[in-house]
Parts: sequence; C-alpha cells; structure tokens
Amino acid sequence: MIAPVFFYSALIVMIGAFLSVLRVLFGPTVPDRVVGVDTLNTLIVAGMILLGAAYDRTIYIDIAIVYALLSYIGTLAIARYLQGGLE
Amino acid sequence: MSEDMGLIVKTMARATIPLIGIFGAYVISHGHLTPGGGFQGGATIAGAGVLFLIAFGLSEAKKRYDHHVYSALESLGGLVFLGAAMLGLSVAFFYNTLWRKGIAFAGEPGTLLSAGYLPIMNLAVGLKVFAGLVSAMMAIAVYRRWKE
Repeated sequence: MIAPVFFYSALIVMIGAFLSVLRVLFGPTVPDRVVGVDTLNTLIVAGMILLGAAYDRTIYIDIAIVYALLSYIGTLAIARYLQGGLE
Repeated sequence: MSEDMGLIVKTMARATIPLIGIFGAYVISHGHLTPGGGFQGGATIAGAGVLFLIAFGLSEAKKRYDHHVYSALESLGGLVFLGAAMLGLSVAFFYNTLWRKGIAFAGEPGTLLSAGYLPIMNLAVGLKVFAGLVSAMMAIAVYRRWKE
C-alpha cells in the first residue's frame, strides 16, 4: 500500500534539497558549493528512505545505504583536492 | 603537503572500509535477489579502494597494491564468466545447465542458493570490476606528468 504521509515528508525534504541546490548554484566560493553538495547528498539519502517507506519496498533501503557511503567518499575526494591534492 | 589526511579521517576510514567491503560483497552475492549485482557491488568495493587512497595517501596505497595480482584477478573474473557460460555447451551457449539439471545452486527460487550460474557470474563480474577499477585508479594516481 502507498502511504501519503511519507510522500508529504518526502516533499518537505525536496524543498530543503531545492534550497541547497540554490546554494550550489549561487555559492560565491568553491567550499560553499561543496557544503551545498554535501547537504544535498544527506537530504537525498533521507528522501530515498522516505520514498522506500512510501512505496513499501524494503529493498530500496539498500540503495540509500550505498549512496550514503559513496557520497561520503566523494566529499572526501573534493576536500582532499582543495587541501592540496595527492602528493 | 602532508601525505595523508588527519587522524579523524584515517580512523573513520579504518572503520568504514570494512563496512563498504562487506556491503559490496552483500550486493554482489545477492545480485539475483535484490537490486544491484556484479557491476554495482564491484564498483562499491572499488569505492573502498578510493577511500583508502584518499585517506592514507599514495605511498601507503602503493605498498599494498601489486599490479600483477590485480591483473591476474581481472583476467580470472573474465575467465570464470566465460567458463560459466560454457558449462552447458552441449546444448547451447549460455545454457543454464546448473539450474536445469539441478547440480548446484538449484534451490527454491528466491533463496540465496538458486538461479543456477547467475551467482557465479555475479561473483566473476564483481571481481573483474573491482580489480579493473582499482587498477585504473592506481594508474591515474601514480601518473604525474605535471611534475618536471
């Protein structure tokens, strides 16, 4: 069954994700955009779990776990580049 | 420029790399039951290799990376895939004889030990993708033409 409550909460998460996309677009410096992308990653993981609950499929949670682990690595790679790269 | 990232990132990587590896192995081995499979799980485990390179630095990663081992593992993945495809060659190429004759991996559909040669092929593709991506990542990391 499809529960509408989870769709409403996913909509609220999408509004927050839209605000962080605005930060990525208009951020004056590069670290501003990185923080915006990191916030967007976390919000997308929350949205994935909420949509998995909305469609009542437990296997969708696996994708959220993979995305949470790999987005952390991506942010770390950008941070490593900004602090001077691999030596 | 320091060789590795600080203490927090290194400790976090020590905790996270086994977690990513185990989750990638789960994605590969349940490839015929849940979303994912060989490529996705192999790319996830290669993400653990990327995390190792970023967190601990290039010299530490070079010590633990042997080009011949990874080259042999990638070739082994391809050969196992081809061998599983040739198992039922007396009938047809890619004939799932393990499932039809009930030799191995012939359990009830939906359980882990089912679907014939599919889990073997998922393991082979996962091994190949992991070895190939880690080799490409190390080749890019050691390639430093901008240094005179």
